[in-house]
Amino acid sequence: MRRLLKGTLAVLLLGLVVAAGSRVVRAQGAKVPDLSGDWTSDRTRGGFGQSLSIADMGGRNRGNEPDIPYLPWAREKTLSEKPSTGPNSQFDVTTDPQVIYCEPPGVPHIYLWPIKTKFIPTTEAVYILYEIGPFYRVVWLNSKHPDDPDPQWWGHSIGHYENGDTLVVDTIGFNDKTWLDQMGHPHTEKLHLTERYKRVDQKTLELDMVIDDPGAYTKPWNSHRNFTLSDTGFLRYQQICSVRENQQFFNNTAKPAVGTASPK
Amino acid sequence: MIRSNAKEIAVLNVLKNATSRTLVIAVVVILGCLTSARVFAHHGANLYDMTKTVELKGTIAKFYWGNPHNEVAIDVTDAKGAVVQWIAYTEPPLVMLERGWTRKSIPVGEKATMYIFAAKNGSNVGTLNRIVLSNGTELTAYDAPRAAAPAPAPAK
Repeated sequence: MRRLLKGTLAVLLLGLVVAAGSRVVRAQGAKVPDLSGDWTSDRTRGGFGQSLSIADMGGRNRGNEPDIPYLPWAREKTLSEKPSTGPNSQFDVTTDPQVIYCEPPGVPHIYLWPIKTKFIPTTEAVYILYEIGPFYRVVWLNSKHPDDPDPQWWGHSIGHYENGDTLVVDTIGFNDKTWLDQMGHPHTEKLHLTERYKRVDQKTLELDMVIDDPGAYTKPWNSHRNFTLSDTGFLRYQQICSVRENQQFFNNTAKPAVGTASPK
Repeated sequence: MIRSNAKEIAVLNVLKNATSRTLVIAVVVILGCLTSARVFAHHGANLYDMTKTVELKGTIAKFYWGNPHNEVAIDVTDAKGAVVQWIAYTEPPLVMLERGWTRKSIPVGEKATMYIFAAKNGSNVGTLNRIVLSNGTELTAYDAPRAAAPAPAPAK
């Protein structure tokens, strides 16, 4: 009799565990997409580029991109910035906060760096790892944003899965200190970023983004990144921003190049 | 802040340029490089002449492997016998590893030929296009597709 009771109890406990587990699975969607691997910018499809503008990835028409619906101040702000890279870079006098202050690039700016990205899924969150920084983000699954999040560098991200192949990330709560890309496109604390990561085949990951910032742009606008699977290893070198190393680099290679051209 | 002092730089350039002008051995025009998006990944649009490379033959004096960019220094002897050092940078180690480089790729003391996009103002600095070591190994620093990335030089 005691064995029967123990057996029944065990079955009941097992049933509770399975039921709880199935609730978690249902809450997270039917299928977790396989985003495993190391993802790098697809050089055959745009590379890492300079601008989030799909029409002007190289940054040649900064401030006049047809697909960026600027508010007037945001256009003026963009044109007033001095990028550290790109066709009109002014490295010696750049206003790029990453170069000047070693500040984090934030998102989506980080996707314009020549680095790899890695996704670590868990039941409660997806951790997105980056080779620069090294930085990481936490995307809380099936969660809610705080009512009044503190403005921060990477914002507050929540996410869910769709169709078994897509991770959707919704981020608010940004501070306004980062550039959206290398070209100095600004944003405000009203920025609401939606990212959709979809693995379209074994070696290809695509990212669609909606940049919705009524403080800087008249309407939401879209951007896109293409990634390809890399097999060379993740974080083989730690790309850390050091003011001391930046200063050394500037003194050695850039500082002598600044100034009036010598007569030939 | 990594801003510069203009007056200080002007003085330095006057001193440097008097010698550097004599060291340019050959200029190779690279057509089309201004249209490459990869070109603009560098910091050099306003500082370096990205339309042509300068060839420098000499001895590797230093190879810094680190952030934010690798640096290669080469000692070049001019026609008058004076040794002048040039410094060129590459992308960071994280990127150069993808192109087949390692921290042992360029041994100090090695005879080499460097091709650089040199400073517009004539000073002895630039951004590295490629380097050919004495054993014939060519290391591409610039916009090299991974499939074509050269093998790293043997460590010494």
